[in-house]
This record gives sequence, structure tokens and C-alpha cells, in this order.
Amino acid sequence: MKPPVPLHRLDLQARPLIRASLTLMGVVASVVVGSRGGRWLDPALLGYLLSALFAIFGIAYRYWSWVERPATAMYFHHSVARLLTPRGLLELPRLALLALDQLFLQRFIERRSIKRWGAHALIAWGCLLAFAVTFPLVFGWVRFTSHGLDVSRYQAWVFGFPAGDFPLDSPVAWLTFHVLDVAAVMVIAGCVLAFVRRRQDEGDMATQRFDLDIAPLLLLLAVSITGLMLTASEKFLHGRNFGTLAYLHELTVILLLLSLPFGKLFHIVQRPAQLGVSFYKADGEADGRLPCKACGDPFIRANQRRDLGELFSRLELDAARHSKDVHHLDLCPKCKRRLLAKAQSVRLGGGFDPFHDLPEPVVPIDDPTTMRPSS
Amino acid sequence: MVSDEYGFFIDPQRCIGCKSCVGACAECGTHKGRPMIHLDEMDRLNSTQTAPTVCMHCEDPICAQVCPADAIKRSEDGVVHSSQKPRCIGCQNCELSCPFGVPIVFSGLEQMLKCDLCYDRTSEGHKPMCATVCPSQALLYVPKHEISAMRQNKPVREFTVGALKVKTRNALMVPDPDKPLHLDAALLLAEGGW
Repeated sequence: MKPPVPLHRLDLQARPLIRASLTLMGVVASVVVGSRGGRWLDPALLGYLLSALFAIFGIAYRYWSWVERPATAMYFHHSVARLLTPRGLLELPRLALLALDQLFLQRFIERRSIKRWGAHALIAWGCLLAFAVTFPLVFGWVRFTSHGLDVSRYQAWVFGFPAGDFPLDSPVAWLTFHVLDVAAVMVIAGCVLAFVRRRQDEGDMATQRFDLDIAPLLLLLAVSITGLMLTASEKFLHGRNFGTLAYLHELTVILLLLSLPFGKLFHIVQRPAQLGVSFYKADGEADGRLPCKACGDPFIRANQRRDLGELFSRLELDAARHSKDVHHLDLCPKCKRRLLAKAQSVRLGGGFDPFHDLPEPVVPIDDPTTMRPSS
Repeated sequence: MVSDEYGFFIDPQRCIGCKSCVGACAECGTHKGRPMIHLDEMDRLNSTQTAPTVCMHCEDPICAQVCPADAIKRSEDGVVHSSQKPRCIGCQNCELSCPFGVPIVFSGLEQMLKCDLCYDRTSEGHKPMCATVCPSQALLYVPKHEISAMRQNKPVREFTVGALKVKTRNALMVPDPDKPLHLDAALLLAEGGW
């Protein structure tokens, strides 16, 4: 067994560490404010709270480290700068529409595969619904009490302020108390579909990894099933084994939360970058495309050529230059491919052309039908 | 895991342009229905010569270095895979930066796909689809020790683009493999392009 890595050798980066710490402090401040100094924190949810804070710190650290990568920084800075311009603010409705299409409806996944989209949509919407309920409850931002002395009504509180009340036997009450069950059913259905699809897809079967692709599905299934078992215990078994099930559910949720910064589910916070890329592409199209310096066909957006040039310099790839004026980035993909074959032909001494070493006809053939010289 | 014993050898001068590789590539399970091999005409007006291009599987892939989403990974067996579906944001950095012009970004899918050496086949000990069907053996997937007996030319796995060195898993066949193969566009440009 390998000895544990000492803390001072974890090679944590300073700037992401500071930014993640500030993010965590912001969330802790919101917990303090939302729960009115911790007064309304539920002691039963303390384990969830601590693991959620760890997950937020880990996700924030990984996110800020990711943004530090030169290639990521190129798009991140462009997206933020553009959003903060007057034009960016005017385009907020367009941004909202794009977010609806790409983040909520996830139409691009539907185009990849309808089966994948079905499974992913159920898992994504189920998880987001569960997160939207769980985190506010755990952080003390939302709580429920009886409405004064009237035990037949429930009062909702948001950040310590009253936010409406409802009778206990109303549909709103049923939905409020069972929204996590609905989310669990969606996630279970999505995970089952995902497993079935993965069993049928030869490509996925060859490339999938247990830690990256299977373990997150198993964890989500475990969380959802133990969550549903809590409801089943309360509704149908008179609360039998409720305490044990509650601990089991808490354990699975904590494992899921602790895995969030390290596993596949981190892509939830990466995906919005796609919106920035969509705007970047649209800006580039408006400016027009530059022609390939070999064949002359327009192929690369001017803004991307400029930024890739800077990126190549930062990555110490700038030596990929054919002359002072021609970078390898100035050639279109097709010309790059042909250049590879051309390089082989040069090395073969022109052997690429099967007729290269045949002598020129001494007498020109003018009549291709008879193959005879005109003279 | 793809066996290190086997190598992929590309010999464009043997290509007869039959497009069998293109049809077979589309059958690959990792990018179903979409051929990832490129078959380019070198000089359509004056020659029938065509050239097949598959991913060379670089040791330090530039496509992965320029990927903002950190979506392109090289597995331990040296195979550079298509972008990871959960991460890829379809920015096209990889497509525009690859020294060999290999990746293709499908804008509707917001995903980059590329030749992944038919990972569903090669990881099971089979040949890639293109090498299986190529009638002229311009694309050859055989044990590395057998290639010297099969060809006069030798495999080269080092390339230079300008002054940049690129080492790859796949090989191109040349007579003198001791020198890296130099991709020199300057000569072409001096001639006025293609």
C-alpha cells in the first residue's frame, strides 16, 4: 500500500486556492445569513452540510485551476469581457435562449444520439431538481414550520423571511414533500437507460472506464434508491428501519458529494463554457474567415487565428512556422494532410507520381483517337 | 488496451483511391456512420494520386494541449481518443491546430470526432477497419517486427513542422527513417500553392 501523500506535496496552485477559499467563504457567509446565524440549521443535516461545503471548495478549486489553463483562459477571458460590455448586456435574451437550448433542453446531445439524450435528460433534470431542493435545505436558506398554532398548514421560510404557506393536504404540500422522490425516480430511470445503452454500444463498451463512467451512475443509483426507501419505510412500513436507512442514505449522498470535484459530474460546471464558445464563433463569423495560405479557401475565423497564435506562443508551439509569414495555423486541415503525403513523395524522390521518371514523348501526339502524330 | 506489439503503417504512395477505407471506417463502433479517415486527391487536374490520412496519435498531442475543455485524452497505450462527450464544447481549436489536419468538429453535435485506431476493435486484438479492407496495403496494421520483411521503405515516427518536432505512435513509410519527415509548406508556397 502506498503511503499517503504529505499535505505539503499536494502541489496546490496558489491562485485557484485563494479563489476557491473566497468562494467557500461566500457560501459559508450565505449559510450564516440564510440560517440566521445557524439558528435554523437542521442538526440532522450537519453531515450533509460539511460534505457539501467540501464539495463546493473542491469544485471551485478544480474550476479555477481549469480556467488557468492557457487554452481555457483564452475563451474564459473573452466570454467574461464580452458579457460585461453594453453589447453583451443587450444580448442577454439571446444568451438565455442559448442556455435554454444547450443547458436545459440539451439539444446537442439529442443530435448525438436520441438514446443518450433520453438517459442524460432524466439524470440531469433529476439531479438538478434534487440539488435545487437539497442545497437550500442543507444550507438553512429554506425551512418549513407549522403556520403559527395551525397544525394543518405549513409555512415556508426563505432566508428567514416568510414565503407563503399551504394546507398539509393540498397538492402543493404533496409535491413539496415528494419532490425528491420524483427526482429519484427520474434519476433511477435515467441510470437504467444509461446502463442499457452502454451495454449495447460497442464504442462505449470499448472506451468506458469504471471510475469515470460506471461509478458515478452506481453512486446516483445508490442515492436515489436509498432515498426512495426512506419514503417507502415511512409510508408503507410504519417507519421500520428508518434510522438505519437514513444513515445509509446520508452515507451515499456524502460519497456522491465528496466525489463531485473529482469525477465525471464536474462537467456540470464546465458545460456553460459552451455558451461563451457559441458567442465567440458568432463574433468570428461576423468578422469573416481567413483564406488558407496554400489553397486560398477561407477556413479559419480571424479572431480564432489571432488567439490560437497567442496560445501557440504560450504553449511554446510557435516553432510550427514554415516561414516568417506562414504559420502552420495558416494552412487548412486539407492542405496539412496533403502536405504529409507530399513530404513522403519528396523523400521518395518524387516517386509519388508513377510517371515522374518516364521520358517526355519525343514526338507530340496530336491525335488522341489514332494516337498518331499529326505529321 | 491496444497491444504495443502491433504498429500502424501508412504508405500514401500505395493508395489507389478506392475509398474502401472510407466505407469501412464509417462502420467503426466509436463514431458510427461517420468516416474519420480522410482521403484527399493530391492534384486532381494532373494526377490520379490520392492520400489517406488517419490520426498519427502524437506522443504529446497538440490537439489536447489547445483543448480548453480538457476533453482530449491519450490512453496509456498511446491512443489519442475522440473528445470526451461530457466535456467537449465544439470550439474547433483541435481541428485547426492538429499538425496533420485530422480531427473533425461536428458543429451540431458540439463534439470533435477523430480516428481512434478503431479502439473497439484494436483493444480486442483485431485490425482497424481501414487496414482490414485496404487492398493495396497503403494502410497496414501488423506486428512491428514484420514490417521490415514486408517493405523496402522503413517506418518513421518523427516529424518536423517548421522547427517543431512531433513524435507519433503511427508511422509513415520512407526510404530513410533516420531523419524526421519534414513537412515543408514553404516550397509549395513558393510554387504558388497547390
